[in-house]
Amino acid sequence: MQTEHAALRSDEAGSASLSSAAQPAVHAEQLTKRFGAFTAVDELSLTVAPGEIFGFLGANGAGKTTAIRMFCGLIPPTSGEARVAGYDIRREAHQVKQNIGYMSQKFSLYEDLTVAQNIEFFGGIYGLSRCAIAEKSDVLLDELQLQKRRGLLTRSLPLGWKQRLALGVAMLHDPSIIFLDEPTGGVDPISRRNFWRLIHDIAGRGKTVFVTTHYMDEAEYCGRLSIMYEGRIIEMGQPGELKDKYGKKTMQDVFIQLVTGNGSVTGNGSVTESGAVTDSGGKRDGRDTRLTTGDAS
Amino acid sequence: MQRIFYLVQKEFRQIFRDRAMIGILFVMPLIQITLLGYAITTDVKNVDIVFADLDRTPMSRAFLQRFGHTPYFHPVGVEDDERALPSWLDHGRARLAVVVPTHFQRDIVLGRRPQLQVLVDGIDGNTAGVSLGYLTRIAQQYQSDIIAHDPSLGLRLRDIRLTETETRFLFNPMMESKAYVVPGIVALILLIITVFLTSMGIVREKEIGTLEQLTVTPIRASQLILGKVIPFSILGFVEITVAMGFIYLIFGIAVEGSVLLLFAESAVFVLTTLGVGIFISTISETQQQALFVGWFFMIFAILLSGFFIPIANMPDAVQYLTYLNPLRYFLVILREIYLKGTPLSLLLPETLAMMAFGIGVFGLAVLRYRNVLR
Repeated sequence: MQTEHAALRSDEAGSASLSSAAQPAVHAEQLTKRFGAFTAVDELSLTVAPGEIFGFLGANGAGKTTAIRMFCGLIPPTSGEARVAGYDIRREAHQVKQNIGYMSQKFSLYEDLTVAQNIEFFGGIYGLSRCAIAEKSDVLLDELQLQKRRGLLTRSLPLGWKQRLALGVAMLHDPSIIFLDEPTGGVDPISRRNFWRLIHDIAGRGKTVFVTTHYMDEAEYCGRLSIMYEGRIIEMGQPGELKDKYGKKTMQDVFIQLVTGNGSVTGNGSVTESGAVTDSGGKRDGRDTRLTTGDAS
Repeated sequence: MQRIFYLVQKEFRQIFRDRAMIGILFVMPLIQITLLGYAITTDVKNVDIVFADLDRTPMSRAFLQRFGHTPYFHPVGVEDDERALPSWLDHGRARLAVVVPTHFQRDIVLGRRPQLQVLVDGIDGNTAGVSLGYLTRIAQQYQSDIIAHDPSLGLRLRDIRLTETETRFLFNPMMESKAYVVPGIVALILLIITVFLTSMGIVREKEIGTLEQLTVTPIRASQLILGKVIPFSILGFVEITVAMGFIYLIFGIAVEGSVLLLFAESAVFVLTTLGVGIFISTISETQQQALFVGWFFMIFAILLSGFFIPIANMPDAVQYLTYLNPLRYFLVILREIYLKGTPLSLLLPETLAMMAFGIGVFGLAVLRYRNVLR
């Protein structure tokens, strides 16, 4: 834990993982999802290396969640290809699921079971043996400092703890890739910080973390980022690179510059959902050709 | 197999976490059996009856006295003039009025045929018909008692009525409707538990997001379905066992036939209702929707099952519709086993129909479930 501040500096974490030459953790090729006439994800292509903390930034409705749900095998893509942990998400969904952990924004453990019962249940569902479940749940409860509260109903835990528990449960089967869909939504800043420490610990153990967020301070913690807008990736790179490229001090300013073409907003807190992240707002100057493809309002 | 065990264990933990649920599971059948058994009755008792005795002879009085000795009638008055009777009916003070004609005694002694006039309040057709039947039986009984007492009189009377019908009610000798209604409650309880708990249980997991969490695990759709279906089936069987116990304790009605066969037939029935439950969960996004669709199915199933309304009384088109109703078959099977002890060989058509329906619905539900969950 004493190295947390170093780990939280995004740049180091990013450069280390990018050098890995192994098989990519996630690889998508023109992945597309349409709901009727609406294109939620439009020809998404990306490669995430093992051990990376890969951030997925974008406004609400930009297609982040849809993309993540396709990677997890929750919904089938309309067209395009993707491989997760080396398995095809269409044909080998079962193997994909064996190798991933998933945690959604919505807390999805059983609130009417105790902490220990939730761990036991999901361990069982992931096919762990009885011994393995007992062992893993002890380790997990120690890590989360929930040993004393193992008999409490999950409902009674504070949200920040619930989310850490959910993350622990999503990793019971030791997956190589973890998908986190806005894991820190609605959580106080201290809990969010604690949660990100956990994410860095996980990445430090060689696991790939694929995380969506719309908190711009969290974006700084990612090794590499992609910024999604109207179903497309409009920019991708390490936070430091992107800040240099656009001449901004914070990722928030980079994001606003990219999405609205107007970089005048300052401040280093998180961006509120009603603020910079709305699609309707600013004018576009067209300096970045990728932005014009969106052609909004 | 192990995964299914954990799913079942989880389901039971959730069920027994909820105190209210335990109450519902065990108090509900008790209340249903008691209420439905006593309240839904087609028996007719204590019908207010008024007489006009125009004969005023020992025989006419003896005849009228018999009405006071049965639980079916409640004599409310005797008039001298038959013209006073309609007002009793009009004011609702009596539902049945009997006029004993003048020369009632003389006609009997002479072997003529005295004719009783009966006025019936026909608002409730069922009560009217049944009480008229009782009245006829009292008259017949009276007649045969006279024959027994006075053989010579009997000979003459026998000339009047050459044949006499005698009806015997087998299996339900008292013609008690509760013997008919109560086994049906077993079916209703199974229907409620399996349709509602299954559909709402799955939809609730959809609502709170745990179903999505389960879907990203390597668990298969079939395992997930079994994990839902097994606990609720077990619950259903516990429920009907409890219900059969209550039925015996409260009404003294025991299963005449094979209890094993009854359980086996229940299992086939449960296949159909679980199928419906899963199907409902695939078309509902919220528990309210599931509840509405479930009710829609229940009302269809109960009304078109012959539980309240005899199927033979329904219009032809509706009668054909009842062939699509699994409850229709199960009610027949239940009553046959419960009251008559009918063996499986005679229940095959119903059993096969139910089985076909069950396999069809369950298969459809599982297919849809796979598509929804992918």
